[in-house]
Amino acid sequence: MLDRLHRATPYAFLLPGLFILGTLLSVPLYKVIEYSLFDNVIIEQQPRFVGLDNYTELLSDGGYWSALLNTAIFTIGSVFGHLVIGIGLALLVNADIHPRARTLFRSLLVLPWIFTAVVVALNWQLLLNPFGVVNYSLQAIGVTDEPLDWLGDPDLAMWSLLLISTWRGYPFIMISFLSGLQSVPKELYEAADIDGANFLHKFWHVTVPQLKPVIYGVALLDLIWTFQLFPLVWLTTGGGPGRATEVLSTLTYRLAFVDFQFSQASTVAVTILGISAVFTMLYLSNESRRTRG
Amino acid sequence: MKRAMLAAVAAAAFGLSANALAATEIEWLQWFAAEQNADFYEGLVEEFEAAHPDIRVKLVTQPFGKVRESIVTNRAIGVGADVLGLNMPWTSEFLELGILEPLDDYLALESNGFDTARLVQAPIGKIDGSTWMVPLNAFPFVLHVNLGLLERAGFDKPPMDWAELKEMAVAVSRLEDGVSGIGMPFSSQPPANGPILTFLPLLYSAGGRIVDGTTPDFDNPTVVETLSFLQELDEAGALTPGVASRTGGVDLEEFIAGRTGFLISPAVHASAIVARNPELDYRLVRVPQNGSKAYRVHGWELGIAADSRHKDEAWAFIAFLLSEGVNARLAEASSALPGNLDALDDDAAANDPVFAAQRDILENDEPVEELRQAPRTVASWSVMTEEIQSMLAGDQTPEQAATRVQSRWVDLTR
Repeated sequence: MLDRLHRATPYAFLLPGLFILGTLLSVPLYKVIEYSLFDNVIIEQQPRFVGLDNYTELLSDGGYWSALLNTAIFTIGSVFGHLVIGIGLALLVNADIHPRARTLFRSLLVLPWIFTAVVVALNWQLLLNPFGVVNYSLQAIGVTDEPLDWLGDPDLAMWSLLLISTWRGYPFIMISFLSGLQSVPKELYEAADIDGANFLHKFWHVTVPQLKPVIYGVALLDLIWTFQLFPLVWLTTGGGPGRATEVLSTLTYRLAFVDFQFSQASTVAVTILGISAVFTMLYLSNESRRTRG
Repeated sequence: MKRAMLAAVAAAAFGLSANALAATEIEWLQWFAAEQNADFYEGLVEEFEAAHPDIRVKLVTQPFGKVRESIVTNRAIGVGADVLGLNMPWTSEFLELGILEPLDDYLALESNGFDTARLVQAPIGKIDGSTWMVPLNAFPFVLHVNLGLLERAGFDKPPMDWAELKEMAVAVSRLEDGVSGIGMPFSSQPPANGPILTFLPLLYSAGGRIVDGTTPDFDNPTVVETLSFLQELDEAGALTPGVASRTGGVDLEEFIAGRTGFLISPAVHASAIVARNPELDYRLVRVPQNGSKAYRVHGWELGIAADSRHKDEAWAFIAFLLSEGVNARLAEASSALPGNLDALDDDAAANDPVFAAQRDILENDEPVEELRQAPRTVASWSVMTEEIQSMLAGDQTPEQAATRVQSRWVDLTR
């Protein structure tokens, strides 16, 4: 009896967690999937079951495919930007310089990650305003003749958003890569030095192979987060001008709270869930490989 | 002695908690305190609670763009505020969702401390046979003018018609880098309501409308004429650069900072302008006309949530806010006219130029409020914003923009 009680104890400790997860995760998840199978939920007191009609309608909607393409561009562009800038800065702040200077640079460079999306969006709106610092500087050095509407020109808005997203997101990659760098055995670099390897040789043939699982893992995690990113896009461009920066998360919000089409919004949300689930499985399988070593 | 003091403290605590338990709590969701002095609204709540010890009011303040979303979400999950801060253009979609409680029975109560006939009429007009909201205050959409910039540009009085507006805005834009004639906030950012802030007041001043009864009517000649005027202003260099990324908030801030000659927005913004830049040589005038003396009337409205469990208490609070003395203070705090016209302070209206100008417009011009019964109003703003952006980017003509808005708006109503 005591033995059975002893074996049950861990499960009792799991109960509160399972209850919270069950309530906070499963119920909303179930409701969103359920809503996507009905017509006009929330608007209608008695919504009608329509099966997969909402999905059929969504797949024939040009707006959805355009938002999906924008999401792909935004996600891939952002993750690429985060990796390049994050890894580059991690290598720089890992350099053998005065410890105080190193701490100062590391603290300063991590700042963009600390700011909330609202602060980031407002600051960049001011910087990129036609009368803002960026336009003033570009005109002063003769790159442009007149102010550009970075966030209001359909040809520039996505590039501007990528710049802002890269600035906001690189610290996560930088910190992850920096901690990975500490774990690379110094002997490998010493051996490479003896072989006459330069900085690039050591980076490509020692650092990257050693940190490949870390890079792959954080890139996938970043991919999952960026794919669903809502506040930064909504607060910076609102998906505009036109629908030039409309991504799946802003489309979901627009359908729900602007157009009051909650079933269609749920349908888009379910497709985001499906795609995110694929990325999550890839991430988990990578983590499992890393753990097995 | 110690025991007696403890007993007194315990009795007081018990008394207080018993009072708190007995009191009914109602929630007031609004954005007014976010735009004005929040302490003023907290003071009003305290004053009401002192007069009604059985009712407690929880003041919930959110930005304007968030309130509509909160009301809809609250309704979906069956919780939320009892007294709702409302915007007239939300009416038809809120009625479709069953969010609002009809107020006719409450308005007929003899105990009300105000006369219904003396309320500003625009928001209380019946829809589906009932009244759904009452006016806390009222104000017209106006042209805010930076007289200092105008003088530097060689003009000594504000524009009266579209031709003068264009001429003066172009001249102000040419003054120096960083200064422009007039801003047009056509950003897609929420609430993306630039067209109803600036385009509609211009349209009404030309005698145009965008709704025929309850049906979208955007592709009419006056709409095209007004869109063409926007395009002319843009091509002449009168508009602030970056209309497609400019929000209403930025537009107001730039005017307050003295970098814009003109601003079309609600008259209620006068209080922020005067308070935040007392040095500005500022005047408020009617929107320049193009054949019509019509103006867009607006205000902050109040309603009761249909699923509120404390509707009587909610009405008691609304009646308090509409009572003459309280409503007069509310109007003064918001630089607007009172929702209850008995609360109008004649001396203030005569002596304060901001009040006097508003009163002149309200008494002599035709008020227009056509968004209350318009279908899918908020979604239609986004459509107008996108098509006007495209027109000003040179991707389509005013005629095409009008046709596209009409077609997309009709699609939304299906």
